[in-house]
Amino acid sequence: MGSYFSAERFINVFPKIIACLSVNFHIVFWSMLLGTILAIFVAVLRLKEIPVVKQILSVYISFMRGTPLLVQMMIAFYGIPLVLGELFMGLFGINLNRIEPAVFVEIAIILNEGAFLGEIFRGAITSVPAIQTEAGYSIGMTGAQTFFRIVLLQAFKVALPHYGVDFVGVFQNTSLVFTLGVVDVLGKAKTLGAATGHTLEGYIAATIIYISFSLLLKGSFLLVEKRLIGGRAYVV
Amino acid sequence: MSFNINSFTDALKSAFLYAPVTLKLTVITFVVAIILGTVIATVRHYRVPVLSQILAVFVTVYMGLPMMVALLLYNLLFMTFYNDVAGALHISVPISDVNPIYIGFFALILGTSCSLSEAVRGAFRGIDKTQYEAGYSIGLTRFQTLIRVIFPQMVPILLPGLQNSLIGLLKASNLVSAIAVTEIMTGALLPSLLYYSYLESYLAAALVYWIIGALIEVLAHFAEKNSGRYLSRAIA
Repeated sequence: MGSYFSAERFINVFPKIIACLSVNFHIVFWSMLLGTILAIFVAVLRLKEIPVVKQILSVYISFMRGTPLLVQMMIAFYGIPLVLGELFMGLFGINLNRIEPAVFVEIAIILNEGAFLGEIFRGAITSVPAIQTEAGYSIGMTGAQTFFRIVLLQAFKVALPHYGVDFVGVFQNTSLVFTLGVVDVLGKAKTLGAATGHTLEGYIAATIIYISFSLLLKGSFLLVEKRLIGGRAYVV
Repeated sequence: MSFNINSFTDALKSAFLYAPVTLKLTVITFVVAIILGTVIATVRHYRVPVLSQILAVFVTVYMGLPMMVALLLYNLLFMTFYNDVAGALHISVPISDVNPIYIGFFALILGTSCSLSEAVRGAFRGIDKTQYEAGYSIGLTRFQTLIRVIFPQMVPILLPGLQNSLIGLLKASNLVSAIAVTEIMTGALLPSLLYYSYLESYLAAALVYWIIGALIEVLAHFAEKNSGRYLSRAIA
Protein backbone atom coordinates (compact mmCIF):
# COMPACT_ATOMS: atom_id res chain seq x y z
CA MET A 1 0.00 0.00 0.00
CA GLY A 2 3.08 2.17 0.42
CA SER A 3 2.19 5.60 -0.87
CA TYR A 4 -1.51 5.28 -0.13
CA PHE A 5 -1.23 4.60 3.56
CA SER A 6 1.42 5.84 5.94
CA ALA A 7 1.52 5.09 9.65
CA GLU A 8 3.01 8.50 10.29
CA ARG A 9 0.07 10.31 8.72
CA PHE A 10 -2.29 8.00 10.58
CA ILE A 11 -0.74 8.85 13.95
CA ASN A 12 -0.83 12.50 13.01
CA VAL A 13 -4.47 12.45 12.01
CA PHE A 14 -5.92 10.17 14.71
CA PRO A 15 -5.96 12.62 17.66
CA LYS A 16 -7.52 15.34 15.51
CA ILE A 17 -10.34 13.01 14.52
CA ILE A 18 -10.99 11.51 17.94
CA ALA A 19 -11.27 15.04 19.32
CA CYS A 20 -14.43 15.40 17.24
CA LEU A 21 -16.02 12.45 19.01
CA SER A 22 -17.37 14.97 21.53
CA VAL A 23 -19.62 16.32 18.75
CA ASN A 24 -21.07 12.85 18.23
CA PHE A 25 -21.62 12.28 21.93
CA HIS A 26 -23.17 15.73 22.29
CA ILE A 27 -25.71 14.76 19.65
CA VAL A 28 -26.23 11.31 21.18
CA PHE A 29 -26.70 12.75 24.68
CA TRP A 30 -29.32 15.37 23.82
CA SER A 31 -31.13 13.14 21.34
CA MET A 32 -31.36 10.24 23.76
CA LEU A 33 -32.33 12.41 26.75
CA LEU A 34 -35.12 14.29 24.99
CA GLY A 35 -35.97 11.31 22.77
CA THR A 36 -36.56 9.11 25.82
CA ILE A 37 -38.85 11.69 27.41
CA LEU A 38 -40.79 12.09 24.16
CA ALA A 39 -40.97 8.31 23.82
CA ILE A 40 -42.53 7.90 27.27
CA PHE A 41 -45.22 10.42 26.31
CA VAL A 42 -45.78 8.65 22.98
CA ALA A 43 -46.03 5.25 24.66
CA VAL A 44 -48.45 6.46 27.35
CA LEU A 45 -50.63 8.31 24.85
CA ARG A 46 -50.71 5.24 22.59
CA LEU A 47 -51.78 3.06 25.51
CA LYS A 48 -54.54 5.48 26.57
CA GLU A 49 -56.10 5.19 23.09
CA ILE A 50 -57.52 8.72 22.97
CA PRO A 51 -59.53 8.90 19.69
CA VAL A 52 -57.87 11.55 17.48
CA VAL A 53 -54.46 11.39 19.18
CA LYS A 54 -54.30 7.66 18.47
CA GLN A 55 -54.61 8.14 14.70
CA ILE A 56 -52.14 11.03 14.65
CA LEU A 57 -49.60 8.98 16.58
CA SER A 58 -49.92 5.95 14.33
CA VAL A 59 -49.29 8.15 11.27
CA TYR A 60 -46.31 9.72 13.05
CA ILE A 61 -44.84 6.35 13.96
CA SER A 62 -45.46 4.96 10.50
CA PHE A 63 -43.68 7.97 8.94
CA MET A 64 -40.69 7.74 11.27
CA ARG A 65 -40.37 3.99 10.71
CA GLY A 66 -40.95 4.15 6.96
CA THR A 67 -38.57 6.89 5.85
CA PRO A 68 -34.78 7.03 6.10
CA LEU A 69 -33.23 9.12 8.86
CA LEU A 70 -31.15 11.02 6.30
CA VAL A 71 -34.32 12.22 4.56
CA GLN A 72 -35.85 13.13 7.93
CA MET A 73 -32.76 15.17 8.80
CA MET A 74 -32.94 17.00 5.51
CA ILE A 75 -36.65 17.72 5.96
CA ALA A 76 -35.92 19.08 9.45
CA PHE A 77 -33.03 21.16 8.09
CA TYR A 78 -35.01 22.76 5.25
CA GLY A 79 -38.53 22.48 6.66
CA ILE A 80 -38.24 23.86 10.20
CA PRO A 81 -36.83 27.28 9.19
CA LEU A 82 -39.52 27.52 6.52
CA VAL A 83 -42.44 26.72 8.79
CA LEU A 84 -41.29 28.24 12.08
CA GLY A 85 -38.76 30.80 10.81
CA GLU A 86 -41.00 33.88 10.92
CA LEU A 87 -42.55 32.86 14.23
CA PHE A 88 -39.13 32.56 15.91
CA MET A 89 -37.94 35.77 14.28
CA GLY A 90 -40.96 37.64 15.62
CA LEU A 91 -41.11 36.08 19.08
CA PHE A 92 -37.48 35.59 20.10
CA GLY A 93 -35.59 37.43 17.40
CA ILE A 94 -33.78 34.22 16.43
CA ASN A 95 -32.95 33.68 12.78
CA LEU A 96 -33.42 29.94 12.30
CA ASN A 97 -31.35 29.99 9.12
CA ARG A 98 -28.31 30.93 11.18
CA ILE A 99 -28.69 28.14 13.75
CA GLU A 100 -26.11 25.37 13.72
CA PRO A 101 -27.12 22.40 11.55
CA ALA A 102 -26.40 20.10 14.52
CA VAL A 103 -29.57 21.39 16.17
CA PHE A 104 -31.70 20.21 13.26
CA VAL A 105 -29.94 16.85 13.32
CA GLU A 106 -30.83 16.57 17.00
CA ILE A 107 -34.46 17.48 16.34
CA ALA A 108 -34.66 14.84 13.62
CA ILE A 109 -33.12 12.13 15.82
CA ILE A 110 -35.31 13.11 18.80
CA LEU A 111 -38.48 12.79 16.69
CA ASN A 112 -37.18 9.53 15.20
CA GLU A 113 -36.36 8.09 18.61
CA GLY A 114 -39.72 9.22 19.97
CA ALA A 115 -41.31 6.78 17.55
CA PHE A 116 -38.84 3.89 17.88
CA LEU A 117 -38.34 4.07 21.64
CA GLY A 118 -42.05 4.77 22.03
CA GLU A 119 -42.84 1.39 20.55
CA ILE A 120 -40.21 -0.26 22.76
CA PHE A 121 -41.61 1.40 25.89
CA ARG A 122 -45.18 0.58 24.91
CA GLY A 123 -44.30 -3.11 24.74
CA ALA A 124 -42.41 -2.86 28.04
CA ILE A 125 -45.23 -1.06 29.87
CA THR A 126 -47.80 -3.63 28.75
CA SER A 127 -45.50 -6.38 30.01
CA VAL A 128 -45.72 -5.09 33.60
CA PRO A 129 -48.47 -7.14 35.31
CA ALA A 130 -51.69 -5.31 36.19
CA ILE A 131 -51.37 -6.35 39.85
CA GLN A 132 -48.46 -3.92 40.13
CA THR A 133 -50.80 -1.02 39.33
CA GLU A 134 -53.38 -2.41 41.72
CA ALA A 135 -50.74 -2.69 44.43
CA GLY A 136 -49.96 1.00 43.92
CA TYR A 137 -53.62 2.00 44.17
CA SER A 138 -54.13 -0.19 47.23
CA ILE A 139 -51.66 1.82 49.28
CA GLY A 140 -53.31 5.06 48.19
CA MET A 141 -51.02 6.25 45.38
CA THR A 142 -52.52 8.39 42.63
CA GLY A 143 -52.49 7.25 39.00
CA ALA A 144 -49.41 9.33 38.12
CA GLN A 145 -47.54 8.21 41.24
CA THR A 146 -48.26 4.56 40.49
CA PHE A 147 -47.13 4.99 36.93
CA PHE A 148 -43.88 6.83 37.62
CA ARG A 149 -42.85 5.07 40.84
CA ILE A 150 -43.95 1.52 40.13
CA VAL A 151 -44.88 0.70 36.53
CA LEU A 152 -42.34 2.81 34.64
CA LEU A 153 -39.35 1.60 36.66
CA GLN A 154 -40.23 -2.04 36.05
CA ALA A 155 -40.91 -1.29 32.40
CA PHE A 156 -37.42 0.22 32.08
CA LYS A 157 -35.95 -3.07 33.14
CA VAL A 158 -37.84 -4.93 30.43
CA ALA A 159 -37.00 -2.31 27.83
CA LEU A 160 -33.30 -2.11 28.69
CA PRO A 161 -31.92 -4.67 26.20
CA HIS A 162 -33.78 -2.99 23.32
CA TYR A 163 -32.87 0.42 24.67
CA GLY A 164 -29.19 -0.53 24.58
CA VAL A 165 -29.39 -1.71 20.97
CA ASP A 166 -31.21 1.48 20.07
CA PHE A 167 -28.64 3.62 21.87
CA VAL A 168 -25.79 2.05 19.91
CA GLY A 169 -27.88 2.54 16.77
CA VAL A 170 -28.20 6.27 17.49
CA PHE A 171 -24.45 6.51 18.02
CA GLN A 172 -23.89 4.85 14.66
CA ASN A 173 -26.52 7.07 13.04
CA THR A 174 -24.52 10.15 14.03
CA SER A 175 -22.24 9.18 11.15
CA LEU A 176 -24.89 10.72 8.86
CA VAL A 177 -24.55 14.23 10.24
CA PHE A 178 -21.61 15.15 8.03
CA THR A 179 -24.07 15.40 5.12
CA LEU A 180 -25.43 18.56 6.77
CA GLY A 181 -21.95 19.97 7.29
CA VAL A 182 -21.55 19.10 10.97
CA VAL A 183 -17.89 18.36 11.65
CA ASP A 184 -18.13 15.08 13.56
CA VAL A 185 -15.73 12.13 13.41
CA LEU A 186 -16.54 11.28 9.82
CA GLY A 187 -16.87 14.93 8.81
CA LYS A 188 -13.42 15.67 10.23
CA ALA A 189 -11.96 12.67 8.41
CA LYS A 190 -13.46 14.02 5.20
CA THR A 191 -12.26 17.60 5.66
CA LEU A 192 -8.77 16.49 6.66
CA GLY A 193 -8.75 14.26 3.60
CA ALA A 194 -9.77 17.12 1.37
CA ALA A 195 -7.11 19.37 2.90
CA THR A 196 -4.20 16.92 2.69
CA GLY A 197 -5.22 14.73 -0.24
CA HIS A 198 -4.83 11.59 1.90
CA THR A 199 -8.28 10.41 2.90
CA LEU A 200 -7.60 6.75 3.64
CA GLU A 201 -5.89 7.33 7.02
CA GLY A 202 -8.76 9.49 8.21
CA TYR A 203 -11.40 6.97 7.19
CA ILE A 204 -9.54 4.13 8.84
CA ALA A 205 -9.26 6.20 12.01
CA ALA A 206 -13.01 6.90 11.87
CA THR A 207 -13.68 3.19 11.32
CA ILE A 208 -11.61 2.22 14.37
CA ILE A 209 -13.26 4.90 16.51
CA TYR A 210 -16.79 3.90 15.52
CA ILE A 211 -16.18 0.18 16.01
CA SER A 212 -14.46 0.52 19.37
CA PHE A 213 -16.98 2.95 20.85
CA SER A 214 -19.94 0.93 19.55
CA LEU A 215 -18.55 -2.19 21.20
CA LEU A 216 -17.79 -0.22 24.37
CA LEU A 217 -21.37 1.09 24.57
CA LYS A 218 -22.76 -2.35 23.82
CA GLY A 219 -20.58 -3.92 26.51
CA SER A 220 -21.56 -1.38 29.15
CA PHE A 221 -25.24 -1.91 28.43
CA LEU A 222 -24.74 -5.67 28.80
CA LEU A 223 -23.09 -5.08 32.17
CA VAL A 224 -25.96 -2.91 33.40
CA GLU A 225 -28.44 -5.49 32.12
CA LYS A 226 -26.72 -8.30 34.01
CA ARG A 227 -26.88 -6.32 37.24
CA LEU A 228 -30.55 -5.49 36.84
CA ILE A 229 -31.56 -9.01 35.85
CA GLY A 230 -29.84 -10.21 38.99
CA GLY A 231 -32.20 -8.01 40.99
CA ARG A 232 -35.21 -9.18 39.09
CA ALA A 233 -35.22 -12.75 40.30
CA TYR A 234 -36.99 -11.99 43.55
CA VAL A 235 -39.23 -9.29 42.16
CA VAL A 236 -41.04 -11.99 40.20
CA MET B 1 -38.90 30.58 -0.20
CA SER B 2 -42.20 28.83 0.24
CA PHE B 3 -43.69 25.47 -0.52
CA ASN B 4 -44.26 25.01 -4.25
CA ILE B 5 -46.66 22.27 -5.25
CA ASN B 6 -45.34 22.10 -8.82
CA SER B 7 -41.78 21.41 -7.70
CA PHE B 8 -43.19 18.78 -5.37
CA THR B 9 -44.95 16.88 -8.16
CA ASP B 10 -41.88 17.22 -10.40
CA ALA B 11 -39.74 15.77 -7.62
CA LEU B 12 -42.28 13.03 -6.99
CA LYS B 13 -42.20 11.96 -10.65
CA SER B 14 -38.43 12.01 -10.68
CA ALA B 15 -38.31 10.01 -7.43
CA PHE B 16 -40.65 7.35 -8.78
CA LEU B 17 -38.46 7.12 -11.88
CA TYR B 18 -35.54 6.08 -9.68
CA ALA B 19 -37.56 3.86 -7.33
CA PRO B 20 -36.45 0.72 -9.27
CA VAL B 21 -32.82 1.45 -8.31
CA THR B 22 -33.73 1.47 -4.62
CA LEU B 23 -35.92 -1.61 -5.01
CA LYS B 24 -33.14 -3.44 -6.83
CA LEU B 25 -30.67 -2.52 -4.09
CA THR B 26 -33.10 -3.60 -1.38
CA VAL B 27 -34.37 -6.85 -2.86
CA ILE B 28 -31.10 -8.25 -4.22
CA THR B 29 -29.26 -7.35 -1.03
CA PHE B 30 -32.01 -8.89 1.06
CA VAL B 31 -32.02 -12.21 -0.81
CA VAL B 32 -28.23 -12.55 -0.84
CA ALA B 33 -27.98 -11.46 2.80
CA ILE B 34 -30.55 -14.03 3.94
CA ILE B 35 -28.56 -16.79 2.27
CA LEU B 36 -25.22 -15.52 3.59
CA GLY B 37 -26.66 -14.81 7.02
CA THR B 38 -28.10 -18.31 7.24
CA VAL B 39 -24.76 -19.81 6.25
CA ILE B 40 -22.94 -17.74 8.89
CA ALA B 41 -25.53 -18.63 11.54
CA THR B 42 -25.40 -22.33 10.66
CA VAL B 43 -21.62 -22.40 10.85
CA ARG B 44 -21.77 -20.71 14.23
CA HIS B 45 -24.63 -22.90 15.45
CA TYR B 46 -22.78 -26.13 14.65
CA ARG B 47 -19.57 -24.64 16.11
CA VAL B 48 -17.44 -25.50 13.09
CA PRO B 49 -13.90 -25.18 14.47
CA VAL B 50 -11.81 -22.11 13.49
CA LEU B 51 -14.41 -20.86 10.99
CA SER B 52 -17.05 -20.24 13.64
CA GLN B 53 -14.60 -18.35 15.87
CA ILE B 54 -13.46 -16.20 12.96
CA LEU B 55 -17.06 -15.45 12.00
CA ALA B 56 -18.00 -14.68 15.61
CA VAL B 57 -15.25 -12.07 15.87
CA PHE B 58 -16.01 -10.68 12.43
CA VAL B 59 -19.75 -10.33 13.05
CA THR B 60 -19.24 -8.71 16.46
CA VAL B 61 -16.72 -6.22 15.14
CA TYR B 62 -18.57 -5.50 11.92
CA MET B 63 -21.81 -4.79 13.75
CA GLY B 64 -19.98 -1.87 15.36
CA LEU B 65 -19.34 -0.24 12.01
CA PRO B 66 -21.98 2.22 10.76
CA MET B 67 -23.12 1.60 7.20
CA MET B 68 -22.17 5.10 6.14
CA VAL B 69 -18.56 4.72 7.28
CA ALA B 70 -18.34 1.33 5.58
CA LEU B 71 -19.70 2.72 2.32
CA LEU B 72 -17.30 5.66 2.26
CA LEU B 73 -14.36 3.43 3.16
CA TYR B 74 -15.11 0.85 0.45
CA ASN B 75 -15.73 3.59 -2.06
CA LEU B 76 -12.36 5.14 -1.26
CA LEU B 77 -10.55 1.79 -1.36
CA PHE B 78 -12.20 1.08 -4.69
CA MET B 79 -11.17 4.45 -6.13
CA THR B 80 -7.62 4.05 -4.87
CA PHE B 81 -6.91 0.48 -5.86
CA TYR B 82 -9.14 -0.16 -8.86
CA ASN B 83 -6.51 0.80 -11.42
CA ASP B 84 -3.81 -1.41 -9.88
CA VAL B 85 -6.09 -4.42 -9.54
CA ALA B 86 -7.66 -3.99 -12.95
CA GLY B 87 -4.20 -3.62 -14.45
CA ALA B 88 -2.99 -6.81 -12.77
CA LEU B 89 -6.06 -8.73 -13.98
CA HIS B 90 -5.94 -7.18 -17.47
CA ILE B 91 -9.42 -5.68 -17.18
CA SER B 92 -9.70 -2.87 -19.67
CA VAL B 93 -12.87 -1.24 -18.27
CA PRO B 94 -11.93 2.28 -17.11
CA ILE B 95 -12.92 3.24 -13.57
CA SER B 96 -15.42 5.81 -14.84
CA ASP B 97 -17.43 3.01 -16.48
CA VAL B 98 -17.84 1.00 -13.30
CA ASN B 99 -21.21 1.67 -11.72
CA PRO B 100 -20.74 2.67 -8.05
CA ILE B 101 -23.91 0.71 -7.25
CA TYR B 102 -21.71 -2.40 -6.93
CA ILE B 103 -19.89 -0.82 -4.00
CA GLY B 104 -23.31 -0.13 -2.52
CA PHE B 105 -24.29 -3.75 -3.00
CA PHE B 106 -21.07 -4.93 -1.37
CA ALA B 107 -21.41 -2.74 1.72
CA LEU B 108 -25.13 -3.39 2.15
CA ILE B 109 -24.81 -7.15 1.69
CA LEU B 110 -21.94 -7.43 4.17
CA GLY B 111 -23.67 -5.34 6.82
CA THR B 112 -27.10 -6.95 6.40
CA SER B 113 -25.65 -10.48 6.36
CA CYS B 114 -24.08 -9.84 9.75
CA SER B 115 -27.26 -8.51 11.33
CA LEU B 116 -29.44 -11.21 9.74
CA SER B 117 -27.05 -13.94 10.90
CA GLU B 118 -27.74 -12.83 14.47
CA ALA B 119 -31.48 -13.10 13.83
CA VAL B 120 -31.12 -16.57 12.32
CA ARG B 121 -29.00 -17.64 15.28
CA GLY B 122 -31.81 -16.50 17.57
CA ALA B 123 -34.27 -18.56 15.52
CA PHE B 124 -32.01 -21.62 15.84
CA ARG B 125 -32.33 -21.30 19.60
CA GLY B 126 -36.10 -21.32 19.25
CA ILE B 127 -36.11 -24.85 17.83
CA ASP B 128 -36.30 -27.74 20.19
CA LYS B 129 -33.55 -30.37 20.29
CA THR B 130 -36.15 -33.09 19.76
CA GLN B 131 -36.73 -31.80 16.23
CA TYR B 132 -33.16 -32.73 15.27
CA GLU B 133 -33.52 -36.09 16.95
CA ALA B 134 -36.78 -36.71 15.12
CA GLY B 135 -35.01 -36.03 11.83
CA TYR B 136 -32.08 -38.33 12.66
CA SER B 137 -34.39 -41.06 13.94
CA ILE B 138 -36.04 -41.49 10.56
CA GLY B 139 -32.64 -41.70 8.88
CA LEU B 140 -32.23 -38.17 7.52
CA THR B 141 -28.66 -36.93 7.27
CA ARG B 142 -27.57 -33.80 9.12
CA PHE B 143 -27.98 -31.67 6.01
CA GLN B 144 -31.39 -33.12 5.17
CA THR B 145 -32.62 -32.54 8.72
CA LEU B 146 -31.48 -28.94 8.50
CA ILE B 147 -33.15 -28.26 5.15
CA ARG B 148 -36.35 -30.26 5.59
CA VAL B 149 -37.05 -30.05 9.32
CA ILE B 150 -35.25 -27.14 10.93
CA PHE B 151 -35.31 -24.33 8.34
CA PRO B 152 -39.06 -24.57 7.59
CA GLN B 153 -39.81 -24.25 11.29
CA MET B 154 -37.53 -21.24 11.59
CA VAL B 155 -39.48 -19.24 9.00
CA PRO B 156 -42.41 -18.23 11.24
CA ILE B 157 -40.01 -17.33 14.06
CA LEU B 158 -37.96 -15.18 11.71
CA LEU B 159 -40.71 -13.40 9.78
CA PRO B 160 -41.57 -10.55 12.19
CA GLY B 161 -37.88 -9.70 12.51
CA LEU B 162 -37.31 -9.99 8.78
CA GLN B 163 -39.99 -7.40 8.13
CA ASN B 164 -38.08 -4.94 10.29
CA SER B 165 -34.81 -5.84 8.59
CA LEU B 166 -36.34 -5.34 5.16
CA ILE B 167 -37.66 -1.89 6.05
CA GLY B 168 -34.32 -1.12 7.70
CA LEU B 169 -32.57 -2.19 4.53
CA LEU B 170 -34.88 -0.02 2.43
CA LYS B 171 -33.83 2.92 4.57
CA ALA B 172 -30.16 1.94 4.61
CA SER B 173 -30.14 1.75 0.80
CA ASN B 174 -30.72 5.50 0.97
CA LEU B 175 -27.11 5.90 2.14
CA VAL B 176 -25.68 4.91 -1.23
CA SER B 177 -26.57 8.44 -2.27
CA ALA B 178 -23.29 9.35 -0.53
CA ILE B 179 -21.28 7.45 -3.16
CA ALA B 180 -23.01 9.05 -6.16
CA VAL B 181 -25.60 6.37 -6.91
CA THR B 182 -28.83 7.96 -8.08
CA GLU B 183 -31.65 6.41 -6.04
CA ILE B 184 -34.96 7.75 -4.74
CA MET B 185 -33.54 10.62 -2.69
CA THR B 186 -31.00 11.86 -5.22
CA GLY B 187 -33.57 11.25 -7.96
CA ALA B 188 -36.04 13.48 -6.15
CA LEU B 189 -33.32 16.12 -5.80
CA LEU B 190 -32.69 16.36 -9.56
CA PRO B 191 -35.45 18.97 -10.24
CA SER B 192 -34.33 20.98 -7.22
CA LEU B 193 -30.96 21.54 -8.87
CA LEU B 194 -32.82 23.93 -11.17
CA TYR B 195 -35.23 25.57 -8.71
CA TYR B 196 -33.51 25.19 -5.32
CA SER B 197 -36.70 23.51 -4.06
CA TYR B 198 -34.94 21.20 -1.62
CA LEU B 199 -37.74 20.84 0.92
CA GLU B 200 -40.23 19.76 -1.76
CA SER B 201 -37.74 17.22 -3.09
CA TYR B 202 -36.98 15.69 0.29
CA LEU B 203 -40.69 15.51 1.13
CA ALA B 204 -41.32 13.77 -2.19
CA ALA B 205 -38.53 11.29 -1.43
CA ALA B 206 -39.99 10.68 2.02
CA LEU B 207 -43.41 10.03 0.50
CA VAL B 208 -42.03 7.46 -1.95
CA TYR B 209 -40.10 5.67 0.82
CA TRP B 210 -43.19 5.74 2.98
CA ILE B 211 -45.31 4.15 0.25
CA ILE B 212 -42.77 1.37 -0.35
CA GLY B 213 -42.43 0.82 3.40
CA ALA B 214 -46.21 0.55 3.77
CA LEU B 215 -46.32 -1.98 0.91
CA ILE B 216 -43.65 -4.06 2.64
CA GLU B 217 -45.68 -3.98 5.85
CA VAL B 218 -48.78 -5.21 4.01
CA LEU B 219 -46.82 -7.99 2.29
CA ALA B 220 -45.17 -9.03 5.56
CA HIS B 221 -48.52 -9.16 7.30
CA PHE B 222 -49.79 -11.46 4.54
CA ALA B 223 -46.68 -13.66 4.75
CA GLU B 224 -46.91 -13.86 8.53
CA LYS B 225 -50.50 -15.05 8.35
CA ASN B 226 -49.60 -17.70 5.79
CA SER B 227 -46.56 -19.01 7.62
CA GLY B 228 -48.62 -19.18 10.81
CA ARG B 229 -50.97 -21.55 9.02
CA TYR B 230 -48.13 -23.96 8.35
CA LEU B 231 -46.94 -23.67 11.93
CA SER B 232 -50.30 -24.61 13.39
CA ARG B 233 -50.44 -27.57 11.04
CA ALA B 234 -46.98 -28.67 12.16
CA ILE B 235 -47.93 -28.52 15.79
CA ALA B 236 -51.31 -30.26 15.40
